Amino acid sequence: MSDFIRLNKVSKWFDTAAGRFDALSDINLSIAQGEYVAIVGKSGSGKSTLLNMLTGIDHPNEGSIKINAREIRTLKESQLARWRGVNIGIVFQFFQLIPTLSILENLMLAMDLVDVIPRQERRERAELLLSQVDIIAHASKPPTALSGGQQQRAAIARALANNPPILVADEPTGNLDSRTTEMIQMLFSQLVNSGKTVIVVTHEQVNNAGYDRVVMLSDGCIVNNTGPMETVVSHSQGALL
Amino acid sequence: MNRLFKKAFNDLRGRPARSVLVIIALIVGMWGIGSIAVSYTVLKNDLSENYLKTSPGHVILVSQSFNKLDLDQFRQRPEIASAEFRDFSIERVEVHKDQWLPFWLFGVEDFDRFQLARFYSEQGQFPPPPGTLLIERNGQLISDLDIGSIVRLQTANKQIQQVPVTGIAFDPAQAPSSMDYWIYGYVDKQTFHNLTGIKNNQRLVVRFNGVYSTQEVRVMTQHLLEDFSAMGIETTKVTLPKFNEHPHQFQLNSLLFLQGGIGMLAFVMGMILVSQVMSAILAQQVRQIGILKAIGASSLQVFNSYLVIAAILGLIAMTLSIPLAIISGYGFTQFVAQQLNFEVLTPRLPAQYYFLLFSIGLLLPILASVNVIRRGVMVSVVDALSDYGVTIQNESKKLMQLPFSSTTMLAVRNTLRRKRRVMITVATLALGVAIFSTGFNLRQSLVNMLDDIGHSLQYDVRVVLNTPLPESQVFNQFQGVDNVKQIQNWSGAKGIIQTNQVGMSSDTTIVALPYDTNVIDFEMLAGRWLQSSEALEIVVNQSVLESFDEAVIGEHYQLSIQGKLHTVKLVGIAREFALPTIYMDKAQYEQQIDPQGLAKTVLFVANENSAEEVAALKKNIERTVENAAIKVRYVTSHSEWAKILYDHLDIILSLLSFLALLVLIVGALGMASATSINIVERTREIGVLKAIGATPAMVRQLFVNEGMIVIVASILIGLLVALPLSVLLANFFGDLILQVPLNFAFSYPGLLITLITCLLFGWLASRIPAERAINVSVREALAYE
Repeated sequence: MSDFIRLNKVSKWFDTAAGRFDALSDINLSIAQGEYVAIVGKSGSGKSTLLNMLTGIDHPNEGSIKINAREIRTLKESQLARWRGVNIGIVFQFFQLIPTLSILENLMLAMDLVDVIPRQERRERAELLLSQVDIIAHASKPPTALSGGQQQRAAIARALANNPPILVADEPTGNLDSRTTEMIQMLFSQLVNSGKTVIVVTHEQVNNAGYDRVVMLSDGCIVNNTGPMETVVSHSQGALL
Repeated sequence: MNRLFKKAFNDLRGRPARSVLVIIALIVGMWGIGSIAVSYTVLKNDLSENYLKTSPGHVILVSQSFNKLDLDQFRQRPEIASAEFRDFSIERVEVHKDQWLPFWLFGVEDFDRFQLARFYSEQGQFPPPPGTLLIERNGQLISDLDIGSIVRLQTANKQIQQVPVTGIAFDPAQAPSSMDYWIYGYVDKQTFHNLTGIKNNQRLVVRFNGVYSTQEVRVMTQHLLEDFSAMGIETTKVTLPKFNEHPHQFQLNSLLFLQGGIGMLAFVMGMILVSQVMSAILAQQVRQIGILKAIGASSLQVFNSYLVIAAILGLIAMTLSIPLAIISGYGFTQFVAQQLNFEVLTPRLPAQYYFLLFSIGLLLPILASVNVIRRGVMVSVVDALSDYGVTIQNESKKLMQLPFSSTTMLAVRNTLRRKRRVMITVATLALGVAIFSTGFNLRQSLVNMLDDIGHSLQYDVRVVLNTPLPESQVFNQFQGVDNVKQIQNWSGAKGIIQTNQVGMSSDTTIVALPYDTNVIDFEMLAGRWLQSSEALEIVVNQSVLESFDEAVIGEHYQLSIQGKLHTVKLVGIAREFALPTIYMDKAQYEQQIDPQGLAKTVLFVANENSAEEVAALKKNIERTVENAAIKVRYVTSHSEWAKILYDHLDIILSLLSFLALLVLIVGALGMASATSINIVERTREIGVLKAIGATPAMVRQLFVNEGMIVIVASILIGLLVALPLSVLLANFFGDLILQVPLNFAFSYPGLLITLITCLLFGWLASRIPAERAINVSVREALAYE
């Protein structure tokens, strides 16, 4: 498969009062279109930082990041925001829905911002997405009226609002019970089957989740970049968390 | 509605208290600038228009030979716009039982046809029937006079006369009776002559065509005098009123200046407060801004959504502030109009002012918010999403150790975490403290000035005679009056300092008194007081200085007294709050100028000088004057004089106090807003404190302590700033109204009131928001994001 996402010699460091902290060191990573990738590692290994690089939320100090042949480092802030809205759907660990809008409006907001979906189709699309994640009954409620699992499903629906080719999720099931976790994982698998590239940062067990590949990070470096079974073998040889 | 705007709108609705605070801040700002626009427009125009509509004279000429003048022919001259004889005399009128005031009596040539120095009928008959008079309406505020009253008039040549009041007039060209404590009356020519015995047509009021400045009036007057001289008309007095300026324009100017200051300050304070509250709103929105940007919003989109909210709040505030500005603007205008005795001629604002107010209403919230919103939305996505409130960036230095408890140190360090925010809060509060304290200091300066008057004037009652009397006669008349410790007689006349410009110098009162008199002790602004001397020395008060081309101590000048020139040496300039007066030694005066030894002014020093005793003394003197048919110009106690001065300044000081309170309130609102931002930003920290054992009371006290640190710093800075500010304003208002700077005085009671008020405001501004801090549960606080 050709590289849909390509990170080349990406490094990110932070200057702190205690000195320089290398969050990512010389990362080389390729992800093909339609791949289902898990990024795993201990706390502080650089998973979230890597995700921030992929989404353009943060920028590397060195290296290049190409997504669909586009070097995203060259984009200006406003261009990047729009590019992100069109190309990447982000699912946060703590849902991050807008509390003063209803669930339906949260989805429509995402469409309003990038103006890709025609105005007259936005409501219908939002309702469809909410049906697909099985929370259409709560469309007019504020996020605080929903359970954690329902909120996360709403967040996934919002991430899909503009039909982006890539979905990125940062510990999407970190705050959810196992039953809901399973449900979310099934959703992701369905999305992959529909052709989307899905990248998930997770602490969960990576086998039986259907990942095509698992990227293991440790101290800012990729220490493993293989299929899930191979990662289980690696795990057994050392603590994951 | 666009979802992004709806989000911002719902955010606002979700925090009604904060939204209300923004609206209040906007109302304060808009009201400030709006009410200036209204009252400044109206006042600046209306006082002037009131005055100019009376067609005031440019020059007033007095001559006993105007019978040589053909007035009708004179009026035909191209340079003469109008001319009229308007007789004038200062008499005395009884305003209450045994209380007399100077009475400015005007004899009008023709009530139906006067072309200049117009006045209007307010009530009753107009013109007054022969033998009756009209009273100017403002005089009713300081007297019992009304239509139907029979006034008791004491004129120069006659006994007490009783004259019915048949009408009330409105004369906007005159200084208000209530301020200057004299009454204006208007009669026909014949009645004037009958009452005063003065020949008619000795006072000519002239208005020129095509003059636009005092200098041009002088030039025209000079030509006129030359023409009169050629006609054999000898002019004994020339008076040039201030060109196209109401006599109390100075007071209006100072009020407008102060009001302008208040309004601008309210506008600036409103902007600061809006900015602080918008900061508070955005502080809560950091995470959400990050999310919006993460899901595709550009900074501009987010910026616009908050800016539109600011504009909407502005529109809401406008619905209240514009009517408020118009009401208060007109209210202030009416108040001033009442004080200065003129009519408000602009009942409705021109349309462009509504447009101006509307523009201000939109502009203020946008101007106040734009920078705050810009900074708020420019936060990067990664910083916004990882924001948990205040962090200490790159703090690698050691923290200063001070001998305080850990909770006190925590309060001190917390206060300094957001330096920019605390500086704005301190600056705003310090300004309020400075102005508040300055108001008290100014008032103290005024009180001290009145004390100075008391010390410089050692007499209790002063009687100025219309007709000088032999000193022995004066003593005989008054020696039976109770409670008199000392009577001193002064003589004097009227004189004119000779200058190079016509009309620059008018008749100045000359007071001849013993050089070593014990009844006055002026502060000398320059030079010295009179001494026993061979030369004819003069000391002038500062009001005379306008008469000189240049007043130089030690120089000799020509002083014209009763048509004769005398060379006098200027030895000193005294600080005196009075009309222009020249002082010279009585012995020198009688030796070189007027040997008759007549008393013109009689001064009484009381044995018992409490306010009641002096008032009783004054009444006794009035009765003696009446019984003895002594012709006096006026009888006044120096406490009355002090009250007149105080009243002139009091209105301004009251306005200043109002300003100070407004600034303090806005400063306190800003501080409350800053405190609430702090609490929002430190929600997680509050949870941690509670989790490790801090009680709700401890948490609340922490924020109150931080607030008190801010208010104490503000008070210290404000009091420091108040010192030069007080000096500056004392000089300014003293010069403006009294022609002499007020000496700076520090008010200790004012300091105490300032401290208590500011500490109380500061405590409230931190205590009330701190209640919110203790209501956050530990679980919510630690999960806060």
